[in-house]
Amino acid sequence: MALNKHIYSTINHTADLGILVYGRNMADLFENAATAMMEILLEPRRLEETDELSISVKAEDLNDLMVRWLSEILYLFMGERRVVTRATLKSIGPSNLDATLHVATYNPDEQEVRNEIKAVTYHQIDVSPKGTEWQAKIFFDV
Amino acid sequence: MKIELKQLDDYRWLIPKTGAMRVPGMLFSNEKLIKSIGNDPCLTQVANVAMLPGIVGHALAMPDMHWGYGFPIGGVAAFDPHEGIVSPGGVGYDINCGCRLMTTQLDANDIRPFVTDLVQGLFRDIPCGVGSSGNIRLSNKEEAQVAVQGAAWAVKKGLGTAGDLERTEDGGTIPGADPSALSERAMTRGRDQLGTLGSGNHFLELQVVDHIFDSQKAETFHLFEGQFAVLIHSGSRGFGHQICDDFLKEMTKRTSTDSRYASLPDRQLIYAPLSSELANRYLSAMACAANYAWANRQILMHWTQQSIMATLSLTPREMGMRLVYDVCHNIAKKEVHRVNGSEMMLCVHRKGATRALPPGHPLLPKEYRHSGQPVLIPGDMGSYSYVLAGTHGAVKQSFGSCCHGAGRVLSRNQAIKKAKGRDIRRELADSGIVVQSRGKRTLKEEMPEAYKSVSEVIESVQGAGLANKVARLRPLGVVKG
Repeated sequence: MALNKHIYSTINHTADLGILVYGRNMADLFENAATAMMEILLEPRRLEETDELSISVKAEDLNDLMVRWLSEILYLFMGERRVVTRATLKSIGPSNLDATLHVATYNPDEQEVRNEIKAVTYHQIDVSPKGTEWQAKIFFDV
Repeated sequence: MKIELKQLDDYRWLIPKTGAMRVPGMLFSNEKLIKSIGNDPCLTQVANVAMLPGIVGHALAMPDMHWGYGFPIGGVAAFDPHEGIVSPGGVGYDINCGCRLMTTQLDANDIRPFVTDLVQGLFRDIPCGVGSSGNIRLSNKEEAQVAVQGAAWAVKKGLGTAGDLERTEDGGTIPGADPSALSERAMTRGRDQLGTLGSGNHFLELQVVDHIFDSQKAETFHLFEGQFAVLIHSGSRGFGHQICDDFLKEMTKRTSTDSRYASLPDRQLIYAPLSSELANRYLSAMACAANYAWANRQILMHWTQQSIMATLSLTPREMGMRLVYDVCHNIAKKEVHRVNGSEMMLCVHRKGATRALPPGHPLLPKEYRHSGQPVLIPGDMGSYSYVLAGTHGAVKQSFGSCCHGAGRVLSRNQAIKKAKGRDIRRELADSGIVVQSRGKRTLKEEMPEAYKSVSEVIESVQGAGLANKVARLRPLGVVKG
């Protein structure tokens, strides 16, 4: 499966791992950030979706919203062994969002973990409009 | 922010107090390592830490310093109990990531023919890899017991001895751990990860004591040249990661409307005043994670011993495995230090830094009161590790702290690029090191060239008077997740 390199690029960080994510609008950005994180976490595979989850995230501001959003998706994998294959934003504001997560059950025999992401950090977090698009800088603790 | 550096002597560099810094920064390093920092933002991070309320003395960085998130890796900072703070980012997600060194009475020359078998056996017997679950599945009640008792829980289960606890930092248990401060998510993640090595820079390494620098201290630590030894590097696994994450978010929520926090140079430095209920709750949750990590390393040690004995058909007496010491290098602790002539209880944060207590310190077990605390410094996968002994110089200059490893110079992506087309496993084998790892990328990400020279780091530590060399160990075999 091809990597979604058109929606994000990696930032060199000595100990950890950073990404710059791009989106046409806020919702697109948050969806792309989820895709990017899952791609960094796991070797891309076509998986059979087993479930659909509705999720609401509330935060203090947009930067916090991105950290909490990705943390929810990360917890699904790290805590419950469920892989988010697709994320669809239903609504998004400066400090809250509602989304549908399409998930599959993780099979370690079929899909290799590429990077152990311990957490989504607040380090240099920056979610902001850039011209006509949106961009997010996010660092993960690996 | 351009950081001015003023060289004080061969091993000390000052970042003068400027702008919003409340104290100066102090770096312990030699000139070669300082030059190698280049554009790495760790110096800015030292200056950022110096802006935190109630910081005492200097914001410090050890010779293995490099870019972290919030605090630099290799960062140490101590805070006043009344005006100061605790910052989960100053401890890190892998709470009580640390090392333990075990010796044996075996000669490494007798072990060499069996290293491949040993590594394969350990790879089979020690659960490792990303998110790996182990052979222990805890009930909620048991998990709470682990969180409170730490390494003592494992010893009670027959997975160690009382002597192991004496030779573990803090006896393998930080008091005041409160499982009611933990989220359900933390409990879920910790349920089946006890007794797992982890991945990334975590490892289990078979070693030979390659050189003795201080024969008297080596004898106290039960080290001899040519000895077969084992070093384990692991932490609190998903349990600790979740606890840090939970409290960073709670502190962010609690402080979002407070103007004092608006000027934080990095949100990862979010904090709670030490006098607050939130700070105390974080510290009691952090203690749970620290205790879990000590239990984890205690169990890993026991299973390592079992695996080696099985492969070599040895009895415990024939193997003679003994814990030298266990140190943590991501922690915040309340410690008594002398500040301006008076003793004060400070909250000392070590983020990729190791405690290094001097001879005579009351927190040391009796057998180490004369020598000082063993300080364990792992190198990268292909090179030496060191055992040092803590000094009074560390207490005077760095709140009893020292470096924790070699420190990275390349990002993971840079390391993977540099390793393209190379067989790192073969290169290490050609150097006499057998490696087995679970992740395909791990070996490339952790290749020796990704790290500073540990020998330069150790030379700087000794030159600055923070700790003195006792022994050097060389790898024979490595298990990585």
